[in-house]
Amino acid sequence: MKFLCVPCDSQMRLRATEENEPSSLSVVYECPECGYEMAMLTNQHETDMVRSLGVRIGPAAAAAMANPGMAASGEPGASRCPFSAMLGGTTQVEAATPSGPEWTPGALARLESIPEMVRPMARAGIEMVARENGHQVIDETVLADARARFGM
Amino acid sequence: MRTYSQIQGDGGSGAEQIADLEAAIARRMAGIRHVVAVGSGKGGVGKSTLTRQLGAVLAAAGKRVGILDADLNGPSQAMLHGVRNVPPLPGEEGLLLPVSREGVKVLSVGSLLAEGEALSWPSASPRHTHVWRATRELAKLAELLSAVHWGPLDVLLVDLPPGPERTAQFADFLGPQTAVVLVSIPSALARGVVARSVSALGALPNRLLGYVENMSGYACAGCGTVRPLFPESQEAAELSLPCLGRVPFDPQLAALSDDGRAITEVPEAGPIAAALAETARTLFERLEEVP
Repeated sequence: MKFLCVPCDSQMRLRATEENEPSSLSVVYECPECGYEMAMLTNQHETDMVRSLGVRIGPAAAAAMANPGMAASGEPGASRCPFSAMLGGTTQVEAATPSGPEWTPGALARLESIPEMVRPMARAGIEMVARENGHQVIDETVLADARARFGM
Repeated sequence: MRTYSQIQGDGGSGAEQIADLEAAIARRMAGIRHVVAVGSGKGGVGKSTLTRQLGAVLAAAGKRVGILDADLNGPSQAMLHGVRNVPPLPGEEGLLLPVSREGVKVLSVGSLLAEGEALSWPSASPRHTHVWRATRELAKLAELLSAVHWGPLDVLLVDLPPGPERTAQFADFLGPQTAVVLVSIPSALARGVVARSVSALGALPNRLLGYVENMSGYACAGCGTVRPLFPESQEAAELSLPCLGRVPFDPQLAALSDDGRAITEVPEAGPIAAALAETARTLFERLEEVP
């Protein structure tokens, strides 16, 4: 969907996306010529449809697409993926990790480079291998150990 | 006033991201020689078990094989391959998958969920999930496929969910280069449903290789002979497809499957092993033929 500022005959640019209500997105566009702003407020069905496409919407989306390791919301560790809520049992694994081994930034970036729905089980498996081998910190070496442990 | 096609880009919405995702999937699957969707239309015909065992037989014949369990809501391939507790892991070039004892790479949501746990699909519009459910499932499958490092494969077998419309939908999703094999059993009911799948696939450019008749008789463990399992029916729909093979029912295979094992692990496995080997050989020969 594209938005056109009719007086300027100019394509409006996406400026902000907010989720003020659980069932609605507020998507703000502005005209680069005259600065006019408008907001598209989705109903619950449109909200579901946008989410079902699996796309990121918002100013951070382009940056997130270029760098998949970065959280789209701009908040470290924040989840925008509806799938994380679907994996009830595995989200408990993520919740338990503060007491688990520490992750180096490089290893964490590697984990965050894989699809969000896979991360809880991958994290649990890697932390299990770290504990088995007595590692307190998970780095690239532990990741390699985990791959070997699981025959990859 | 300018029209839609006169404006470059889409102003920040999702169309470009979807195109990027499709390009990423194509890059990830570029090293796969043949993609084969295994569907049926009818549930309960043994499609997943057949897919798993054909993969093992092909691997035993030296082929590099991957299995994609496209049934996100009823995943079975992780269990069938004995990798239910093996998580996919981040690797140097993407997501690495669990590998079965036969060397088959397996992508199944069954590796991500505890036994008995099902995916839920939270919605902003309860009671209207039918509107977007299929779209969300395919979007999640696409997200996974865009991340997986398959490496070079001779065959990727895709275990489809049941339903004639789903068979066609997933064939369309996987692209026109994907070949399709249908699984039936010798009953009028199953054949009728599979015939509907053939009809639904007719509108797509995908190559329909043929069908496999599963549970084609009962392999007697005592005498080794194969006897009829279903009554002969004059009303069974004729499938206007080549038959790639007929695989008898064997309780031994059911036990192996529950245990996450392959028929190739069993010496002297009898008529079913011979039937699976012949079916796999025929399937691969058809794949190699230039259409």
